Amino acid sequence: MREGIVSIDGAEGEGGGQILRTSVGLALVTGTAVRVDRIRARRPKPGLMRQHLTAVRAAAEVSGATLEGAEPGSTSLTLRPGAVRGGEYRFSVGTAGSATLVLQTVLPALLTAPRPSRLVFEGGTHNPWAPTFDHLDRAFLPLLRRMGARVEARLERHGFHPAGGGRIVVEIEPIERLAPLCLLERGDVRSHAATAILSALPYDIAKRELAVLRERFPWDPECFRPLMVKDAAGPGNVVQITVACEHVTEVFASFGERGLPAERVAAQAADECAAWLAAGVPVGAHLADQLLLPLALAGGGSFRTVAPTGHTRTQAALVPRFIDVRVDLRRDDDGQWTVIVE
Amino acid sequence: MKQTVAIGFVGTQLDAGRGPNRWSKWRPTVALCGHEDLLVTRLELLHDRRGTALAATVAADLAGVSPETQVNRHLIDFADPWDFEEVYGGLHDFARGYDFRPERDDYLVHITTGTHVEQICLFLLTESRHVPARLIQTSPPRRPDHGPGAYIVVDLDLSRYDRLAARFAREQREGLSFLKSGIDTRSPTFNRMIEQIERVVIATRAPILLTGPTGAGKSQIARRIYQLKRTRNQVAGDFVEVNCATLRGEGAMSALFGHVKGSFTGAMRDRPGLLRQAHGGMLFLDEIGELGLDEQAMLLRAIEDKTFLPVGADREVSSDFQLIAGTNRALRARVREGAFREDLLARIDLWHFQLPGLRERPEDLEPNLDFELDRATQTLGTRITMSREARARFLKFAVSPEARWPGNFRDYNAAVLRMATLAPGGRIDIATVEEELARLRAAWGEDAAPDLVALVLGAERAAALDRFDRVQLEDVLRVCRSCESLSEAGRLLFAASRARKASTNDAHRLRQYLAKHGLDFEATRRG
Repeated sequence: MREGIVSIDGAEGEGGGQILRTSVGLALVTGTAVRVDRIRARRPKPGLMRQHLTAVRAAAEVSGATLEGAEPGSTSLTLRPGAVRGGEYRFSVGTAGSATLVLQTVLPALLTAPRPSRLVFEGGTHNPWAPTFDHLDRAFLPLLRRMGARVEARLERHGFHPAGGGRIVVEIEPIERLAPLCLLERGDVRSHAATAILSALPYDIAKRELAVLRERFPWDPECFRPLMVKDAAGPGNVVQITVACEHVTEVFASFGERGLPAERVAAQAADECAAWLAAGVPVGAHLADQLLLPLALAGGGSFRTVAPTGHTRTQAALVPRFIDVRVDLRRDDDGQWTVIVE
Repeated sequence: MKQTVAIGFVGTQLDAGRGPNRWSKWRPTVALCGHEDLLVTRLELLHDRRGTALAATVAADLAGVSPETQVNRHLIDFADPWDFEEVYGGLHDFARGYDFRPERDDYLVHITTGTHVEQICLFLLTESRHVPARLIQTSPPRRPDHGPGAYIVVDLDLSRYDRLAARFAREQREGLSFLKSGIDTRSPTFNRMIEQIERVVIATRAPILLTGPTGAGKSQIARRIYQLKRTRNQVAGDFVEVNCATLRGEGAMSALFGHVKGSFTGAMRDRPGLLRQAHGGMLFLDEIGELGLDEQAMLLRAIEDKTFLPVGADREVSSDFQLIAGTNRALRARVREGAFREDLLARIDLWHFQLPGLRERPEDLEPNLDFELDRATQTLGTRITMSREARARFLKFAVSPEARWPGNFRDYNAAVLRMATLAPGGRIDIATVEEELARLRAAWGEDAAPDLVALVLGAERAAALDRFDRVQLEDVLRVCRSCESLSEAGRLLFAASRARKASTNDAHRLRQYLAKHGLDFEATRRG
């Protein structure tokens, strides 16, 4: 465990919930106390919101941490982690928050904890502004496993905004240390899947969404499928495109909302997917910011990606505050980027 | 940090919905627990029998939306949720039975849902602190389906709002100034009493007893109390004033309580009586100590039950008024003498204010002078001023022991008004003051006897004299003070004996008489 306390300006960079969750996650995995000030200072409603609180409390629970300022509206939070303990945990996440974001906060620390863990998350599994379960399961976790992690996730029930009620089970067998990862090529495309997920909404929506996707991608008709979810607590609609390549799988999602035509929903995911396909790099924008932390824990690695987002830049600045690594974001001649962690 | 506990009705319309469509509609109770910046740790969800299934659905939905919220459902069954009495009673029972822990929990009463009557009752119970909570009002998002919408928290403790507190302070100052008729009084005892009166009259309709010497301003304050309550919309009826000393004998009963036509000779038609005139307003009974015992009994009844029997009537009538009683007599002593009912005194002296006489408020002579000059200016239509030395002379006299002011401020104000009226060209100079002082001395001299004794002997020894002796001494002193010598006084005092030649040594007899009181001729001229 390290001495002292890392002080983070919560209003820097992305300036929202991500900087807070990442700081807390890094504090856990490094055993460092952290103090985040000016939490969401530039947002219309500054301070900790309940979704952040859920992640912070989960982090405190798995690490026996003490918390100061952990209440709604608080603009300053201090977390002093104890020893991270694997075990059985159950986290109920309100629909305002996403189960996958809470998992991201506690996962790095539990990967190398002394004991195995079984985590049950209840709440939203496919929420806007968060990786969907499928992104986690098909894109992120396989890469972690390639780095040596032994982690499996299972979706037991879909949870959509606003009703929630989804359920994810994650099982972790701890390892000593993650191994570096080098992901410069995506390799050959092996399969495509375009799914219109629908719960308690007219089937017509899925039909219209799939029609748009078929028009955009000249794939085998078998690739385009509706998924009618029967057991979710409330209505939901997600368009999800999965492209599996030799070295990486990427998942792109967009979310139906009232007043937004189905065609527009489908087009959003399609645009993102098409941009990634055209870029020719293995790692998409969202996967990039998720990969930085594991790479730093592994002590090194690199990947090629699209232009870094604010999230990725924030991660890149934050990680070296806790772990002794250098993060380089380098623009290549072809206009794409290489991220190197040393 | 305290945890937040919300209390509210399930909305039979707003929270309704069973199918998946309910998720695309704004449901206040679900939204209440879905705000990102408000963590409701516990929700006390009230519902009636018809709302049981709905409350269960809402509770189940909240388990997904806000797993941090513990939902307790409470069945409060109303036969008619629009019946005020029933709803208030049911909620009052709930509030009394609920284990409020304000030191641990921060309570919010959700008033967006429920019938309007339910919302009103929740408001009233919160306002009266039966429910130690703040109110929370929720509203839908501007665009449907975009989050839980907005909420506002309203604290009914008005003292927490600075601008309102300033406003109330101003209103209170105005009220105080109003009760003092705008006179900027300086006497601390008087000002403190006025503050108490202001607080009492705003807070209660209970009877008020004003005591104090004649002319101390009892009826003026009574009238101002009425007008203050009137400006604050606390009284709708009239101000009815009567001096009980004028209500002696036969007519007293009927003047106060009214009579029916033909109930006695001369009762040509119905008379409502003063109490009924004061219905919804205020009745000022000045010199209440002068009221007869029969009238006292009836008045007590009228205060306690708000009903009484007019003379000759066979049915009681009712009148609801606030009573202000005034007296310059010691009512306790009247009770001991059997002249005043003890139970009536107990009923009217809950709020008892003793108005100080002029002598106890020397600081207020100057403000009253200014006030009366202003008033004279308005009445007389010319600007009345007073020279500095005239003012000093008058004020010096006013506080001197010589100035008795038996009628207190009534006399004082009358003196000022006389000076103002007689002032040449509206300017009161020293001559005007001296004239007035002579007038006052003469007026007081007529009944100055008791004080002449006190002046010469000192108040203490004067008080020790029997009335019998005092009357005698008083006359002797007056004669002595008007004579040049002891012999002259003796001649006047013993004129009758002298005429009968029964005695010739008048001076000696007078000297002996004076010596009995420890005085000599010179001493009679003291003071």
